[in-house]
This record gives sequence, structure tokens and C-alpha cells, in this order.
Amino acid sequence: MASRRQFCKTIAGATVAMYAAGRGFTTASAQAPARRQITIGGRRVRVIDVHNHWDMPIPAEIVKGTPFEEYTKGPSLDDRIPVLDKMGIDIAAVSVNDFWWWEAKDRGLARAICSYHNETLAKWNRMHPDRIVGMASIPLQFPDLAADMLQEAVTKHGARAVTVGGHVNGESLSLPKFDPFWAKAAELGQLVFMHPNGSGNLLKEGALAGRGGLGNIVGNPLETTVFLSRLIFDGTFDKFPTLRVCGAHGGGYLPSYLGRTEVACQRANQNCIIKKKPSDYMKSQILADTMVFTEDGLRHLVAEMGAGQVVFGTDIPFGWPVNVDYVINDKTLTPAEKEQILGGNLMKLLRITS
Amino acid sequence: MPNRRDFFRSVGGATAGLYVIGHGRPGEAQAPAARRQVSIAGRRVRVVDVHAHTDIPLGDVVKGTPFEKQAAGNPGLDQRILAMDKQGLDVQALSINGFWWYGVKDQGLARAICNAQNEGLAQWVKKYPGRFVAMASVPLQFPELAAEILQDAVTRFNARGVTLGGHVNGEDLSLPKFDPFWAKAAEMGELVFMHPGGADNIIKEGAWRGRGDVGNIIGNPLETTYFLTRLIFDGVFDRHPRLRVCGAHAGGYLPSYVMRTEVACDVRNNAKCANKKKPKEYLQSQILIDTMVFSEEGLRHLVAEVGVGQIVYGTDNPFNWPVTVDLVLNAPFLNDAQKEQILSGNLTKLLRITS
Repeated sequence: MASRRQFCKTIAGATVAMYAAGRGFTTASAQAPARRQITIGGRRVRVIDVHNHWDMPIPAEIVKGTPFEEYTKGPSLDDRIPVLDKMGIDIAAVSVNDFWWWEAKDRGLARAICSYHNETLAKWNRMHPDRIVGMASIPLQFPDLAADMLQEAVTKHGARAVTVGGHVNGESLSLPKFDPFWAKAAELGQLVFMHPNGSGNLLKEGALAGRGGLGNIVGNPLETTVFLSRLIFDGTFDKFPTLRVCGAHGGGYLPSYLGRTEVACQRANQNCIIKKKPSDYMKSQILADTMVFTEDGLRHLVAEMGAGQVVFGTDIPFGWPVNVDYVINDKTLTPAEKEQILGGNLMKLLRITS
Repeated sequence: MPNRRDFFRSVGGATAGLYVIGHGRPGEAQAPAARRQVSIAGRRVRVVDVHAHTDIPLGDVVKGTPFEKQAAGNPGLDQRILAMDKQGLDVQALSINGFWWYGVKDQGLARAICNAQNEGLAQWVKKYPGRFVAMASVPLQFPELAAEILQDAVTRFNARGVTLGGHVNGEDLSLPKFDPFWAKAAEMGELVFMHPGGADNIIKEGAWRGRGDVGNIIGNPLETTYFLTRLIFDGVFDRHPRLRVCGAHAGGYLPSYVMRTEVACDVRNNAKCANKKKPKEYLQSQILIDTMVFSEEGLRHLVAEVGVGQIVYGTDNPFNWPVTVDLVLNAPFLNDAQKEQILSGNLTKLLRITS
């Protein structure tokens, strides 16, 4: 899966670039910028970031002699706190989103990789309990094991959510074989954060090559759109009514162009089994992050989903033009809605109490 | 190209279905439904529909070729008028959107097919004065010939605008080889109406199987998004600044989710963008979109992103989407002049509808 490796390389590159541009936090921690503290109407609000990547390197002893040796390389998280300080982010929900370990055919290996991720994220959470929480990594190619490991990550390692990709080696996550995982996430009340990777499951090889970086610009929202649409149309949300799934990048195209999906089942021969309208799931079980970059985009997301379904996300360490200001300065949101979006919704979902 | 064939078949099927549902038993004389006459603030407004599919029977033109099956259209024009009357549509810009003829390898045959379509549509336009205009069909697999046939369709057959798909046998329309066609459309000021066919140019075989008709629901807006995005980033709009392109189904995802595209050239490494302006500037000038978003909030957002001058009324007739002029007429965020622009004024200008 060339695209997954590519994604990994890009994260490493972006990390280096971002920190260099940010006046070299690595070598100059003494000059770290002051922490930005966000207030709304004079009241301090807590800002929580749902979309915060770490391409965590895996120790050589775990993957030695396997096809995954290249993943021993990757950035450290040492520079993350100063970045959060500068942007006014109080808590980052860090997740590992490359999902290369879904190709591991050996259960023991898959378990070892995910255990390492979850233990390491727990370590970071212990070091910075008020700044970093971890989302669980799971081996979704083994749905029953994924369910076990989610339970373990939550109970043993303090994970506050779980991250998944848009497909497992090309298979749709709405297939019944993945129900044990969905059942566990729903039972434990764990938010599922879905992050795409260029729609490698859907697109012909090389289809989005060329100008404009479309593999990301189109490929990513497309994968999220298809992922969420399948969960809706195949009845996954009906089977697991307490399930909550957050789609990265504003939930892809789905919330922004909801009209067509909303009327799909009204037309003949659509083979629909869903119990509610797509917009009902958008307003209850589906969440989207704020990565729409503009007040217009955000206003539309909130109009379609409600402020209770929209959560702040940055895509750190990538250099997207994200900041808290387009939420804070939004002219159509009330102060209470701004607080919900910046932190309130995630405080509840990620069980952040202090 | 299974999607294109399916699409073609369904135009025929939908035509029959729509008219049967609307008007009882076929063959039985019906009292015509009253024609809905749309007015805004007491003033009659001529409603023009940019997105109106049809087929035309080609008969002998394709006899003995592999395309015989695809050329047996079902016009049903009288019933079409009744449906338009009921929906308050005054003028439909008819177009033939299966684009199966892009697969024709012989120039003479391709020319004959498109000529027959353009001539046939011209006859329908004459038969129902004031109710139809016709968009030209062109053989885009031969770009120079397509330019010539567009010229011919406009001068000889009075075509208004030209229709095309999102790709030609898998090739992007932003490739330099298609410039002769774009240059001609720009020179003549002909609106280009683009209609997708399930994104089969970029999507793996079988990827859309399953519930919810996602091949249409997602595949169509995806193809349009990809098509418009290529035209922007590959510099086609810059090379042809007078070009006007209308993307079906509200321009796909591009206008509704424009923000990621807007920052692409700044954020992505090696984006190698050729466009001279920001993507949104093309959306606010050279790109037009139809109203097929089905909700007040969807339309409000489109207006905010692209402006009322870029939005035109479209129905997807004869397919059974929940479209109505009331979406525009009742929109609380539009003033009367803006409603008229969307329902009528923008297309009246672009399609040179005078009387």
C-alpha cells in the first residue's frame, strides 16, 4: 500500500518543516512561546483538538524480520506541547492514523504493535495529564481482537477513544464481520475517530496524480464520505445506537453536500434498510471536525449537524491554515456554541473532567 | 463503459415512468394539467431549466454499427411539455448526456451521430416554440471535429450551449489536446454544460456496489468535482478566460466544500498548480452550477460561496428528484431580483433566450 507509506513519510516531513518554521522548538525550548489561553466573553474555555497525529515509530524488536521494518522511523512527540501552547490548544487527543499494521497477518504481531502504541500514548498522558490524551490503536483486520484490545486500552492504558481508517485492506467497515468491534466501541461509549488516506480502496491507481495535490484534496474527503455513507446505508448506526463516529476534515463531503444523500432512499430501487433519514444520524451519532478553514464552511456544518456534533480539529503537525480564531470570531455562533465546538463536546466524549 | 450505458437506458425508462405516473394510463386521453405560471412580486418570470435530459432516435445513422442499441431514444415530447407545465418550467435546455458516442472511432460516424442529434433537437425546438432550446452534442474524442460541429450546431441548428461528460474515454478534459474545443466554446460564448456518469474514469470497477445507490449519489458529484478541479488547477480557465462551464448537481462537491481546494496550492507540497487565481475566483466567475441541492440550507450555502450570478435552475428531468421552483421562490435569504436571476435571468443571458 504505497499510499499509506507515503502518508507516513509526509507526516515526518511536515513535522520537521512545521517545527523549523516555528522558530526551532527542538533546540530552543527555553524560548518557547507563551501559552495562548483562550477566553470567550472573558471566560477561560478549554480547547481540545480531536485531530492530532503522531506517526509513532515502532521499536525494531517488534517488527524485525517483518515487512514493517520501515516503520521504526518516525518523529518523536517531544515538540508537541510548545505547538499546542502557541495555537491555544489545551488538550490534544493524539492518535496514530497510518493503519499500516492492518496489513499484519499475524495476530501476535498485530497485538504487539497496537499494545506498544497504546502503552506509549499512556506514558505521554501520564507525563502531561492535562495536555495529552491518547486514542487507542487496534488491529481491525481481526475484529474480535480489535474489540479485546479496545477494552484493554481503555481499562489498562486510559485511552479515551479509538481511531480507525476508512477501510480494512479494501473492505468496508460496514460489513457484518466488523460488528464485534462496533459493538464494543458502542458498549464502552468510546468515540471512534476515523481518518482517511486518499481513497486507495476506491480509486484506480494514479487517478488523482497531477496538479493540485488531489490525492489528498479530493481523495481524503471522498474516503470519509464513502465510509460514513456506508455506515449509514448499511445500517451500522441502527445496529449500534450508542455509537459515536467522528469523521476527519469536516466529515469529508457528506455534511457539506448533504442534500443528495438525504434524498437517496426516497428514489426507487435504492435497496435502503436505514430506519432514519441520513440527516438524523448527522445530528446524533456522527461528528465532524472543524477543518473547513472558513466561517462560511463552519456555519454550514453547524446548520446541517448542530453545534453539538462539531468538534475542534487541527491536523497537527500538518501545515493546514487552522486556528481557533475562525471559531471564536464566527458571527453566527453563540458563545455557548463556540465553547461546545472548541472543547465542551469533546470534554464529554473523551471524559475529560479536570 | 457500463455507467454510460446504464445512464442511457435509464433516461428512456425514467421518461416513461415520469409521464405514466403523472398522467394515468398511457394512451388514454387526459385533460392537460394547468400550466403553472411562476411570478415574483406579481411579475411573470420565465423559468429556464439547464438540466433536462433527453435522447433522440437515430435510426439509420447507427444501423449495422455496435451502437445500434444506444440510439433508440424515447422522446415523449408532448408528455414532456405536460410535465414542464406542472412544474412551472417555461423553457428547458435539452441535452443528450449518455456520451456513448465518445466511444465511436470513426470520424464520419461520430459526425453523423452528432449531426443527427443536433438536427433532431432543432426540429423539436421548432415544433414547440418558446418551450425548448437545444444544447449541442459534439464528438469530443476528435477535438477539432468537436469544435467544427459546435460551430455548425450553433449557426445551422441554432444550438444554445453544448453538453459534455466529465472525461473522454478516461482522459481528462484539461489535457492540451482538448484546447481546440475549449477555444471554440469560449470564442463563441457558448455555455458548456457538464454532466457526470458515475466517476467511472477514476473509480475502481465495482467500488460503488451496495446500498443507497452511491454510484449515483456519490459517483456523480465526485466526477463533477474532479472535472472542475482539473480545469482549475491545470489552467484551462486561465487559457480561455471567456469560457463558462456549468457543473450539474450543484457543481458536485466543489462549491459546497470549496475550502480544502481553496488552500490546496498553498498547503500541499508539489501541488505544481498552474492556476493564476484562487479556485474560488473561478467559482465566482467562469463556473456555474445548478440548484440541485434539495434544501434551503444547501442553497443558502451555495449562494454564500459562489454568488447568485453563478447559480442556475436545474431539474434533472425526467428523473424523479425532489426538485421544485419553490426552493428558490421561498428562500428567505434571496431578494426578488436574486430569485429571478437564479430561475431565469442568468440562463436567459447565457442561452440567448429573447422572446
